[in-house]
Amino acid sequence: MTSALAVDAEGITKTFGAVRAVDGISIRVAQGEVYGVLGPNGAGKTTFLRMLFGLIRPDAGRLKVFDRTWAHDGTAVLTGVAGFIEAPRFYPYLTGRQNLESLARLDGGVRRGLIEEVLHTVDLTDRADRKVGGYSYGMRQRLGVAASLLREPRLLVLDEPANGLDPAGIRDMRALVKRLADSGLTVLLSSHNMEEVEEICDNVTIMKKGSVAFHGSIADLRAMAPDPGHLLDTVDNARALTLARAHDGVSVTDDETGALIVSGRTQVVAAYVTDVVAAGIQLRQFTPTETPLEALFFMLTDTGTEPGQEASI
Amino acid sequence: MSTTTSAPHRKTVAAPRAGFGSALGFELRKLRSQMRTKAVLVGALIAPIPIALAIHSQGNPPKDTLFGRYATTNGFSLALLILGYAGQWVLPLLTAIVAGDIFASEDHHGTWKTILTRSVSRSSFFAAKAVTAMGFAVAVLVVLAASTTVFSVLIGGQSPLIGLTGQLIPVHEAWRLVSASWLSTIPPTIAFTGVAVLLSVWSRNVAVGVATPVVIGMVMQLIGSMGGAETLRPYLPTTAYEAWHGFLAAPAFAGPFITGLITSAVWTALTLGISWTILRRRDITGG
Repeated sequence: MTSALAVDAEGITKTFGAVRAVDGISIRVAQGEVYGVLGPNGAGKTTFLRMLFGLIRPDAGRLKVFDRTWAHDGTAVLTGVAGFIEAPRFYPYLTGRQNLESLARLDGGVRRGLIEEVLHTVDLTDRADRKVGGYSYGMRQRLGVAASLLREPRLLVLDEPANGLDPAGIRDMRALVKRLADSGLTVLLSSHNMEEVEEICDNVTIMKKGSVAFHGSIADLRAMAPDPGHLLDTVDNARALTLARAHDGVSVTDDETGALIVSGRTQVVAAYVTDVVAAGIQLRQFTPTETPLEALFFMLTDTGTEPGQEASI
Repeated sequence: MSTTTSAPHRKTVAAPRAGFGSALGFELRKLRSQMRTKAVLVGALIAPIPIALAIHSQGNPPKDTLFGRYATTNGFSLALLILGYAGQWVLPLLTAIVAGDIFASEDHHGTWKTILTRSVSRSSFFAAKAVTAMGFAVAVLVVLAASTTVFSVLIGGQSPLIGLTGQLIPVHEAWRLVSASWLSTIPPTIAFTGVAVLLSVWSRNVAVGVATPVVIGMVMQLIGSMGGAETLRPYLPTTAYEAWHGFLAAPAFAGPFITGLITSAVWTALTLGISWTILRRRDITGG
């Protein structure tokens, strides 16, 4: 294994008509790293990943994968690289196993037993001989992971792997990705779910409208995270709202459901809620509306970042 | 999934050798797996039987059609009459069923991103798909030709054929000329494969890729039959479907066949060249 970066993208730009989908982003992923690219839909994550796979040509910038470039090395760029973009797609008239066998042919063949091995890894052995047209969404996602593992990659690129899955599917998919990451594989994971990235990744780039809104470690991100908002519902929300006026640093607003949204530093919010209870106002509900990292994610991607918070790569 | 074992063991390996051959094998496997492909081949084998029977059983033969006069009494005439009809729209349709679908179906299934993220280049995929489409077109044509000729002779009888200039063609020579006539339609069929490939790549739509070559073929025939379009006529691939007429004259002449060969080659090169340019430049944003 060389010391080359798994992904070294600098100043990548892509425009579709009048829309600048990716605007000069730079991302560096070291070998062995589990890297998250986070952003809301339309942030440019998938466009970036498509450029990495050579499906889209960047208008400007430099993109190296294990020190190889599309211009110089052609499809050899994808040596040791595998993954899927958005929902993995297969030929519905072929079985899962036939799809894998066909794709293996496109990789120049795979070693004996590998197809069974990857089917077992994603728990599709029992359903491998059914036509993919009858697969559920989650099964196709897992077949996508299996198709990627067939390439025995050093870099695994997964675009929203848990997208569209039910809670059990999400849990299983995350467990699989974590297990793959723990085995030393470099993983580049695109997601719009902060919890997913926080759980799996070491470093993260947050994208917003084609640009980088944040780059750094998950620890850096946690340090920047604001206090979480809370949903407060009482038997007398009007009185609870009045009581908030006596507490500096607490912001209380009406929720569209009639409850209250309380935000502020944890200690100040705790003092306010204590006063609400002490005033004899019975609580019906007091729950966080979002995690601190989610709050930061929304801040970075919806309302922009403070100049001091924005980090270049 | 959560109960399974760890990921497969990885090792750093050299870039595997995968190119045109791998892509061709991949395309052929897909082709073999599709019911439509088998249906077309079986149709090409069986359909000539009822058609030949229907024509043969007519009380009044289609006398105003080439080789129609003796179609009810001579198997070779019957095979050539069917060839005349086939060249009008059947052959463009048969080739378009695969060629018009082979690129657009990747868009339909959303599988461009699946195959282009493996080890085979776009150029290899393009070449493999084009060769598969052309190979299938030729295979269908050969099956249709063999089936039509054999069953026409079985149904209509094996007697000397009366040529276009009234000459009598012995049976063994008739077999050779009828076979050559059918095979002479390979070049324009390949040209129509190119047209279907272009429509498939350009439109990304299976229906457009399959149906439009048939319409284009009919329009070309209309143009070819219009007065004032004589200069244009030799350069239409539909005209090449009639090149076999020269084989059945006395003396025989091959000029239209050679012109048709060159015309078909130019159409094939142009349509495939444009198709490749479109595919090479395309950003795969969907699928």
